[in-house]
Amino acid sequence: MQQFLDEIEESVPALRRYARALTRNADRADDLVQDCIERAIRKKALWKPTGPLKGWLFRILLNLYRNELRTSRRRGDHVAVETLLVEPAVAPAQPGRVALSEMARAIDTLAAEQREALLLVVLEGMSYAEAAEAIGIPIGTLMSRLGRARAALRTLTGSGDEPRLRTVK
Amino acid sequence: MTREHFAITADVLHAYADGQLGATERAAVERYLAAHPDAAADVAAWQRQNEAMHALFPSAANEAVPARLSPHRIAREIRSARRQSIMNIAAAVALVVIGSGIGWYGRDYLTPTKAASDYLIEAAVTAHSLYVKEKTRAVEVGADAPNLMTWLSNRITTPIDAPNLTAEGYTFLGGRLLPSDPGKGIPGPAAQLMYENGEAQRVTLYITSALPDKEEAWQFETLSGVEAYYWANDTITCTVVAALPEAELRMLGRKIFEQLTWRPDGTSAQW
Repeated sequence: MQQFLDEIEESVPALRRYARALTRNADRADDLVQDCIERAIRKKALWKPTGPLKGWLFRILLNLYRNELRTSRRRGDHVAVETLLVEPAVAPAQPGRVALSEMARAIDTLAAEQREALLLVVLEGMSYAEAAEAIGIPIGTLMSRLGRARAALRTLTGSGDEPRLRTVK
Repeated sequence: MTREHFAITADVLHAYADGQLGATERAAVERYLAAHPDAAADVAAWQRQNEAMHALFPSAANEAVPARLSPHRIAREIRSARRQSIMNIAAAVALVVIGSGIGWYGRDYLTPTKAASDYLIEAAVTAHSLYVKEKTRAVEVGADAPNLMTWLSNRITTPIDAPNLTAEGYTFLGGRLLPSDPGKGIPGPAAQLMYENGEAQRVTLYITSALPDKEEAWQFETLSGVEAYYWANDTITCTVVAALPEAELRMLGRKIFEQLTWRPDGTSAQW
């Protein structure tokens, strides 16, 4: 049990970061992480030690997040955009570099499933196989979500510094 | 150009941008990108997106973790909550035993709560008073609409047919769907049917599916200057409302009851 708890503890910073990226609200993110840890401890018996614990934790976190999204959609409450955005102190240095606030807004407008996949791969540096496992989808689906998310972000941020000529298939 | 050992697909380009390739594959992709500026531009854009995301959501590794996120602490809390809940269950069982004793032996001393039928009668009278005043919009859907009764039956989840009161001098005008108050134990929405006789006397029927107890019940009330005749059985509740003398309403109510409880075998429930 102690070792199991230690292993969870190692994943806490990564869980917090991902939860923040998903919710864009530090308090809500920590609430989610707390629920996630609690759930993991209560359901320890359901964890198969063959798989990585980290992936299982992310899976729990994602399910909790999706449940919360459903309930908050039902209740119709919204998160204020102001509480989410940390405006960069310095203006983007180079032309063609994506402005951070613009990027934050663009990520918010992504379809939920694309946002989940993109943030997991990019922020956590998970391998595609691990990320697909954590989200609970086949790897091919993960790749297509990733591709669509990136294409959407490019359109939304208008970050093509030069006009795009052709889409890579 | 060097011959590649694996196909450069979009997936491989993504893997390159995400730093998920081994050295050999990486070198192959780099050779490919040097020869394909469009693909190189895509990959560069994705890498800029990645950088922006890392800047937006910095690692939390160097932040102090709040105590409430400590797995060891949470595990301790769960353990003590389990112990607490066992004690709570024991306390709750004791309270239920004491409480039901008080409730059972004291039942005659407690004021009776308002029954669901009272709420139904009130709602039927309110709806009656509101809609009989209307001249041209007394009903939502006219009696001549082809699917009126199918629609109402579906919405109140109980098959009903509009009773025929021609022999009593009443013409069926049509009906409407009304919301219910589930907090008061009233099942689903209600169907209101309206009838009118030659003297412009209007009668409404307020019909819902059966109450949870499915008990047979009759009740006669005078409310807000009109008479209400309520009955219920195991399939429906019906409140007949009209500004009629009690005897006349009882007679009318009986005709309605017989037709609404008519069963396919040709019998109707015993009056």
